[in-house]
Amino acid sequence: MDITTTDLGLVARVRNLSKSYGREGARVQALRDVTLGIRHGEFTAIMGPSGSGKSTLMHIMAGLDSPTSGQVWLGDAEIGGMGDAQLTVLRRRRVGFVFQAFNLVPTLDVRGNVLLPFELDGRAPTVAERDWFEQLISSLGLGDRLAHRPHELSGGQQQRVAIARALVTRPELVFADEPTGNLDSRTGREVLALLQTAARRYGQSIAMVTHDPVAASYADRIVFLADGRIVDDRGAASPEEVSALMLAMEAAA
Amino acid sequence: MSGRVLRTPLRAHGSSVLVATLSSAFGVALLQVTGVLSAVIRADDVTGSSATVAVLLVVLAVVFIVIAVYVGAVVTANTFATIIAGRTRQIALLRLVGAGARGLRRTVASEGLLVGVVGAVLGALVGTGVAAALAYGAVAADVMPAFDYSWAQPVLLLPIVAVALVTWLASWVGSRRVLAVTPLEAIAGSQERSRDEVASRPARRALAIGLAVAGLALLGLALVLGLVTPLAVLIGMVGGVLSFTGVVLGADLVIPPALRLSGRLLGGSAPTRLAAENAVRHPERSARATIGLVIGVTLVTMFGVAIASFRQLIHAAQQAEPEVYQGIDQMLDVVTIVFSVLVGFSALIAAVGLVNNLSLSVLQRTRELGLLRALGFSAGQLRRMILAESAQLVFTAVVIGLVLGAFYGWVGAQSLLGSINGSPGVVLPGVPWLVVGVIVLAAALLTAIASWAPARRAVRVSPIAALAVE
Repeated sequence: MDITTTDLGLVARVRNLSKSYGREGARVQALRDVTLGIRHGEFTAIMGPSGSGKSTLMHIMAGLDSPTSGQVWLGDAEIGGMGDAQLTVLRRRRVGFVFQAFNLVPTLDVRGNVLLPFELDGRAPTVAERDWFEQLISSLGLGDRLAHRPHELSGGQQQRVAIARALVTRPELVFADEPTGNLDSRTGREVLALLQTAARRYGQSIAMVTHDPVAASYADRIVFLADGRIVDDRGAASPEEVSALMLAMEAAA
Repeated sequence: MSGRVLRTPLRAHGSSVLVATLSSAFGVALLQVTGVLSAVIRADDVTGSSATVAVLLVVLAVVFIVIAVYVGAVVTANTFATIIAGRTRQIALLRLVGAGARGLRRTVASEGLLVGVVGAVLGALVGTGVAAALAYGAVAADVMPAFDYSWAQPVLLLPIVAVALVTWLASWVGSRRVLAVTPLEAIAGSQERSRDEVASRPARRALAIGLAVAGLALLGLALVLGLVTPLAVLIGMVGGVLSFTGVVLGADLVIPPALRLSGRLLGGSAPTRLAAENAVRHPERSARATIGLVIGVTLVTMFGVAIASFRQLIHAAQQAEPEVYQGIDQMLDVVTIVFSVLVGFSALIAAVGLVNNLSLSVLQRTRELGLLRALGFSAGQLRRMILAESAQLVFTAVVIGLVLGAFYGWVGAQSLLGSINGSPGVVLPGVPWLVVGVIVLAAALLTAIASWAPARRAVRVSPIAALAVE
């Protein structure tokens, strides 16, 4: 019998994952034989330059894209072979997303956006989930913004709403795609600190894709990707160390 | 030069060309048929009144044509406004590199002229073809005597030129928003502002309310005078035209609240709640998309109710003197059908606009649809959301149209017939079940058609579309 993801203390993993795009002749190899586990309760950064395959890796791990070959687990479930309906339910209940462009539904107010995952699931939040919602809203400082619509909020506020939406269902894993890409550096640091807190205080597992050394320095673990392969995997590091590593990788390439 | 960059692919104008073609075909066909009928009547002039009849026919035709062209113009203006709203980024970019706002607007409007000319000419050919087929068919079936008529009448230039010019004007009105685009919108990571189209126009609102109030007062007067003289119907007509113009001008005041109300009727599941919000996301756009349908349904219902009320009276009178009223039922049936078809044509044009509006608005929401997919919206939920959106627009328009039409039809019948012999004084509104049934069926069909293509497209959107940064 195979060792399960949970036995390994992991929340998600991929094994021998490859992904290529395009037809014969004009093939682009985005990922080459990647094997990686995301550890439970950790804030993991997946780093790499543009075109390194980090976004593709995240899309596949989140069930947004399908692998060319290899296996993908979320928890103990193999998601590589799942159909659209199953993946939809999986995204709804078991993962959360934070995007670069905030991505809130413009017709809903802040409360509606944060509670959207419950609505999609066709149920009202339980009492415990209500409490958690209140706690999130107050710790993210959104208490007096609940009735506002996205266009009435600053970029940083919008991203905090997106974070609240991603955390509200207590998903197994939150995927963050360049969450600070559209923010000024001070607001960006606040957002990163919030993600870090979610991991440290509440044990929320987070996988963040970024090319920003400062963002990566908030993570507990940094995985470096280049040219579709994992080239380094280490614990927390300072922005200077991360930058140095990135530069060394550039030089080697 | 910048104009070429902004040029919209002709495919995007497909529905506007269709609308112009339909309007022009309708106008040309109607005038051609009227012309043929006049020729036939002139050849067989026993009463010596052919000139009067011919004039009457032309006047009626012109009224129907004006209605169709007006509805077509509303639809076209809305389509252009929607296309422009979807291209804000691109316009902003052109402004950023130095294009003038007025020049850009002129480019858009010149596309409108092209669309209008192409549609008007196509429509003239189609309309003449349809009229000729009808006329020769009638001759072949011995319903009508052979006639002498030239198909190239100068009067046909009227609908052709009118459609081309009105389409041009509509594109000019619809492209107003080009002027409001700032170069900054090209750079800012701008979140969509959902309420930006609601520019409050106090003068227009005041005019709309004034017209509605004055019209209602005249309608009330017509109701009272109708107890004394059938001429009251003339006052009622003026009141009807004024108050309905008020409703059309004040569509932004009336329709969004009605949409909100019908949105609440849809229920509280996530797809329908989002649909309800989407339908009022651009209140002005939704108002314009539905008002055409409101006009069509109102007019069809009005004639239907008026004739049905008349029929009730006739039936009452018939019981006393059966031989006098022989054959009148069949005649009323024919009149109902002819009027419904002629007026219903504007509803068809409006339906084209509604279908197009929904599909454009889905096209412009790709990112948001991707987001919903990423968050766990199933394909079925997405499809239900778009179906609900479509149902909400159609349902609202049809209900408003039925209510207004029934009211106008009843006022018309009452003011015309309230004083005639054997009338009970107050005429009860008759319900034209056939007309109402056809409207409801057509509405259901329209809902399904309008949501079919957009739903298919929406389901194909990959959740990754939400993550992409434009």
